[in-house]
Amino acid sequence: MPANKKYLTTSPWLRFSKIMAGAVGGYAVMLSLHLLLTTVFPRENVLATAFFTGYILWAFLLLWAFVAKNVWKVWLTYISLALLFAVPYFLMQPV
Amino acid sequence: MDNRKYNIYFHTHTVSGIIICVLLYVMFFAGSFAFFKDDLAAWQKNSSLVANRPTTQRNFNELLDSLGRHHTLRGRNMEFFLNKNGASAYVSMLGSNDSLVAKEAKALALAKAKAQPAGEKGKRGRGRGRGGNDDAAYFSYDFTHKKELDYERGYDMGEFLYRLHFLAPLNAIRLPIPLGAPFGYLLAGVVSFIFLFALLTGLLLHWDKMVSNFFTFRPWAKWKTVWTDLHTALGVIQFPFQFLFAVTGIVLIVNSVLLAPFTKFAYKGDDAQLQSDLYHTDATTYAYTYTPLPTAFDLNRLLAQVEGKWAHSQVTRVFIRNFQDANMHVIVLAAPAADASFSGMGKLVYRVRDQQILHETAPTAPSSYVDKVRAVLYHLHFGDFGGRPLRVMYFVLGLMGCVVIISGILIWLVARDKNSTPARERVFNFWTANIFLGICLSMLPVTAFTMIVLLFLKAPGQSDIYHWYFYSWLALGGYFIARRNIALTNRQTLLLSAILCFLLPVLDGVVRHNWFWNTFAAGQFDLLFIDLLFLSLSALSALALVRVSQRKGITDPPKLAVASGR
Repeated sequence: MPANKKYLTTSPWLRFSKIMAGAVGGYAVMLSLHLLLTTVFPRENVLATAFFTGYILWAFLLLWAFVAKNVWKVWLTYISLALLFAVPYFLMQPV
Repeated sequence: MDNRKYNIYFHTHTVSGIIICVLLYVMFFAGSFAFFKDDLAAWQKNSSLVANRPTTQRNFNELLDSLGRHHTLRGRNMEFFLNKNGASAYVSMLGSNDSLVAKEAKALALAKAKAQPAGEKGKRGRGRGRGGNDDAAYFSYDFTHKKELDYERGYDMGEFLYRLHFLAPLNAIRLPIPLGAPFGYLLAGVVSFIFLFALLTGLLLHWDKMVSNFFTFRPWAKWKTVWTDLHTALGVIQFPFQFLFAVTGIVLIVNSVLLAPFTKFAYKGDDAQLQSDLYHTDATTYAYTYTPLPTAFDLNRLLAQVEGKWAHSQVTRVFIRNFQDANMHVIVLAAPAADASFSGMGKLVYRVRDQQILHETAPTAPSSYVDKVRAVLYHLHFGDFGGRPLRVMYFVLGLMGCVVIISGILIWLVARDKNSTPARERVFNFWTANIFLGICLSMLPVTAFTMIVLLFLKAPGQSDIYHWYFYSWLALGGYFIARRNIALTNRQTLLLSAILCFLLPVLDGVVRHNWFWNTFAAGQFDLLFIDLLFLSLSALSALALVRVSQRKGITDPPKLAVASGR
């Protein structure tokens, strides 16, 4: 049997919003997290680690956008996490 | 697990799976055969690498001499990329650092371009003297037969299936807006990422019942149950293997997704530094002195010395800087054999003038973290760390991946073939599955057929392989789609596979006298292996066909309402 429709998103806009939140937002979180790590660890090591952790983390973040009950909460979480990681990274850059 | 999550995993798994299934099948199928790339190449060219290896001398001096007959080599940078099979190399000859030689070469190339009809210029491809404004050259060199091969004519079935598995033929489609990568590679990358997503949702979906479902196999139940059990059990057995290929596949094909922003931010745009950190590329420039090298130089001797010094490793790249100049340098890079050291990269920088070694890292020396990650990535994806038995295991696991994909399509179809589904949707579902299976299942007979045709063609090149493979695929796929009968598609592709895969080794014997015992006696084990591989595939297809026909009596295959309709 196919999945029970009762639990699925019916609005195409909401579905699109989920895909975008997971794909774009998830990517922003993944990238900013790894960039922040370069301030602590050697950049080439972080980059090599990201070959594995980056893509797997991104896939999980994409999945969470579908599982979460409210897509706006996902957007909010991803935007704040991305900012949380990116702001200290850019502040720590030598000018 | 609550019902809501279960249904979300279920639905995301279904949708992501059905979107990518055909392309993923092509990637798995072609990729599995690509493990035997060198064997397929040797089989097609009827020139065993295994048998020739002991007698093949890699004579670089001769290669340089033959280049020198057509070009002034003084002051040039040259790069050799040696293939793992030890019998061939890609050669890249760059422009000269000597302004006089460079100027001459430029004038010569210009005159050549003028003499040529304008239309031909674009078609030269990767051959010698590519139509730039210098006479740089890029070609492949065969050490066994001591000849240059341009790319089109050197093309073979191994290369074809290898490149098909990351959808390189689709690069011919030009995108209206540039997205940073050719269309085929980009598509392969997107498919790999969606595949990773489908794997995660599939695993979570079965999480609660993983153990009990794993031991459930009900081959005598109705078809849908068989497919479900097959999909679940094989999917779980294979999960680590498939997960590994999803992740390493993404990294190998679309890593620019990660590298581009890293270059921009963490490296402040310093691409050369990033390349050097990751791949040991050497951007050092050595000053050109305009004074000729006082001593003679023997590249063969240098490489023999390096190889003698570094046991259990293989020279992979040789860079020459400022050829025949007093400031000439040679850089040699070598990879350790996987059983000597799983990761690492040997590097030697040699100054020719005073025979001084300026820098030396042995291949088996302790390697950096980046080297270790890269080694894991490459070795695991290419399966090149355990010899032929490991590659056979990878091949079997790869084909099992194909089975998981096919059973997934069938579950998807049968689960929706109910009276409660609107007729229009059922027609659509049937056609989707019909088209998908027609394309997927005809791949094996088409592969065997193309290889048989190659036996009869004289010096087949890239266009021959493209024509025979893609047109026969189109014809056979089209035929099965038109028959609108999935059970028939299955039976007939099995029958065709059994016949064609059997004919392949037989015709190899008839046409080229490469009977099993002949290739065995001559030590041409790569040719023998391909013949045996197809013989086993034929036997497997025949066995499956017999089983399918026997089962017909026990339970009838599902009758699809729409299949028999208009």
